Amino acid sequence: MNKKQIFKIIIFILIFIWLTISLTYILRTNGDEKDRFTGFYSEPDNTIDAVIIGSSPVYPGYATPKLWGETGIAMYPLSTNMQRPVAGYYLVKEALKTQSPQLFIFEMRMYTAKEDDMLNTIGHTRSVTDNLKYSWNRIETINAMVGDSEKFTEDRYTYYFDIFKYHSNWRTLFLWSQIRDITYEYPDDLKGYVIKDNVGPTEYLDVSDITETTPIEDTQEEHLYKLLDYLKEIDQDALFIVTPYTADGTDKQAQYNYIKAIVESYGYNFLNMNDADVASEIALDYSTDFADYGNHLNAVGAAKVTEYLGQYLIENYDFEDKRGQEEYSSWDESYELYLQEYQQAVDTINTKIANEDWTEVEEGE
Amino acid sequence: MEITSFFFLCFLAVVLFVYYLVPGKLQWMVLLAASVAFYLMSENGVLIVYPLITVTVTWLSMRLLCKVDKKDIVKRRLVLALEVLVLLGILVGLKYNNFISSDSIIAPLGLSFYTFILLGYFLDVYNNIAEPEGNFFKTALMGLYFPIMISGPILRIRDLKKDFFEGHKLDYNNLTFGAQRMLWGFFKELVISERLGVIANTVFGNDTEYTGAYIWVGALAFTFQLYANFSGCMDIVIGISEMFGLKLPENFDIPFMTKSISEYWRKWHITLGEWMKEHVFYPLLRTQMIMKLGKVLRDKLGKKKGKQVTTYVAMFILWFSVGLWHGGAFKYVIGSGLLHWFYIVFGEVTLPFWTWLFGRLHINMKSRFADGVRIVRTFFLVNIGNVFFRADTVPHACRMLKEAVTTWNPQVLINGSLFELGLDWIDFTVTIVSIAILICVSMYQLRLEKTAEAEGQTYDYHGVRRFIASRNIVIRWIILFAALFYVILLGQYGPGYSATEFIYQNF
Repeated sequence: MNKKQIFKIIIFILIFIWLTISLTYILRTNGDEKDRFTGFYSEPDNTIDAVIIGSSPVYPGYATPKLWGETGIAMYPLSTNMQRPVAGYYLVKEALKTQSPQLFIFEMRMYTAKEDDMLNTIGHTRSVTDNLKYSWNRIETINAMVGDSEKFTEDRYTYYFDIFKYHSNWRTLFLWSQIRDITYEYPDDLKGYVIKDNVGPTEYLDVSDITETTPIEDTQEEHLYKLLDYLKEIDQDALFIVTPYTADGTDKQAQYNYIKAIVESYGYNFLNMNDADVASEIALDYSTDFADYGNHLNAVGAAKVTEYLGQYLIENYDFEDKRGQEEYSSWDESYELYLQEYQQAVDTINTKIANEDWTEVEEGE
Repeated sequence: MEITSFFFLCFLAVVLFVYYLVPGKLQWMVLLAASVAFYLMSENGVLIVYPLITVTVTWLSMRLLCKVDKKDIVKRRLVLALEVLVLLGILVGLKYNNFISSDSIIAPLGLSFYTFILLGYFLDVYNNIAEPEGNFFKTALMGLYFPIMISGPILRIRDLKKDFFEGHKLDYNNLTFGAQRMLWGFFKELVISERLGVIANTVFGNDTEYTGAYIWVGALAFTFQLYANFSGCMDIVIGISEMFGLKLPENFDIPFMTKSISEYWRKWHITLGEWMKEHVFYPLLRTQMIMKLGKVLRDKLGKKKGKQVTTYVAMFILWFSVGLWHGGAFKYVIGSGLLHWFYIVFGEVTLPFWTWLFGRLHINMKSRFADGVRIVRTFFLVNIGNVFFRADTVPHACRMLKEAVTTWNPQVLINGSLFELGLDWIDFTVTIVSIAILICVSMYQLRLEKTAEAEGQTYDYHGVRRFIASRNIVIRWIILFAALFYVILLGQYGPGYSATEFIYQNF
């Protein structure tokens, strides 16, 4: 075999790899999570002020276009359903590749969850690994998230080469909503926010009496320390929050107290929105502001929580109001769209309240 | 380890890398190490002990044979008996134990393939048409060569021995042509066979629910599935070997374009047919029993007819063996054996009648139309045999065939009912388009084969790949990438997908 032939084989393989990556990006299953990540990658470099990382309370709970429209803070969620805490560290690294956010915000609900329960559904892992662009960090994320768990052994290679999983989506190959993701960069209209117009009533649970601490699972504690150490190492400011919810009753409050102590020992703020004083400031109507019985916020609840968070960020951090700057025009458009969709959602919510048309609970939500 | 799996491709890449890294003289050792590793990594790898016993016995038998005086017929026959009894004893004991006991024993991977290869090699040495191998490890490689463990082909060692043990330089054509041949096999297996398998499984798995046209569709689907599956596996095996610089024998030669059952069997599972002819049929004709029978029949029926009937008797034993080779069940004995014997004998016995009939009807027996009819007829008869092959049992097959001809429901072919057999219209379309591609490529290959034949040359099965290679690089790469991604996207594989294993894997 001569040099020319070797060169041809190498070029052929490189083109093959490039085509395979592009096709995989197109074929990865479409949906909110894919849109959120392609949206994040499409944001111009170093324009995001805050990145919020966490599980399903995040994307319906924080109306990022509203936050922009009212405070001029460009915040973007890198959140996925039932996101395992192990992902946090790697998502920070992923975000830092193209952005230099002033603040990382971490939603802590999943730190109180049991690792084994989360491992039972591969989607909770894949929603992170299969939404990252191909890179060394993605490989490290898979190594950390897939690990040596028996639940992944058989199909482990399909996490690294996810074409093995998504090739069967070939029927979506010709949809514009898929083709546009060929580089895995496509703006998300609502900047990662998912508007919910369902209603599932609940009642506020006062947790102010619970002052004791209960350790979280060792695995999650390790991930928390790893994350905190890393943030300190790179001198990155961060905020740790708990979004209002009642779905777990008061059981987890002692664990949040435990987390709070750890987080504050590193000099970071911890904001538990279930605390009575915070809850009263947010002024949620627990009978109408949740989409599914105290688990996730609907559009009205999200508006209140976002407003509160915006105020909190202005008071506690030194964010520049970037409204009016040319490179943020897409955020202005997003805010316009949000206002329209919010109004529609409010109308729907009001109708549902009037008809007592409550949400049917879906498994895994 | 499935040879269509990602792990196998990684394994192959590593073996290829090491194979071309070591000096040519040591390459066979790499193949032997890879073969042992492949076996050990397969399901029930511990059963490697069986092929090792077979290898050891064959090697010892050959050593003994070398020491025995060539004129000492008794001792030579004793050695022959030792080899045949041990090898066939293991084969029968492991493969046909269900005839004896209800407790099924797990058969080792490639059992009948390596047994036939080594037995064939020994018989060639016995008949002085092959040189015995003195090196145990070299003998082991001939029996254990990993690509053939899945579905053959049944190698003829006397033709391949030199190729196996001489060094091979890394060659661009071998590498690229081999990879392309593998891709063609993946196309047949993952795109066509897996989809057709869904239809065949639905119809044959619920055979009491389907009648008339459904059964014909099921039979047709299975016939193409079997071909795509088995010949696809052969393409992969031959392609892998080409990458190592080894030229393995072809096992298929466009069998569905044949005009008679005899011709069909010369082009379907070629290496089994040749092995059976060489080591069963011809020796059988030379046995005292058959020769005595021939004499008796010639005396009673005359020279021509007596010879004919004697041959039919020998053929009966041959076809019974072919059927039995496929598995220890009566359905294989019928579907891949005796039914085909019947076709051939019936065809020959009734030939004068057909000649007379077509003459009366003024149909030219040498016309293209007549050839077309023969091709369709042969294909139809093969389908009937395949109903037995695929059905659960012979009574099931008989019932299905009865339902196929007694129920008239052609409307299901056009009213969308076929989409309820497991494939929706999109997958159906993919299957039809893919079969059309397969047929077009086969027709082109057939044309090249005929041209080579007319020029007095032997076709080397590289024609389609040479055609692609002769295009300029842009066209060539467009074709190759299109083919590659056609298979990657439309292939049926991946997590959550339970692929059918190669049908001949357990034979």
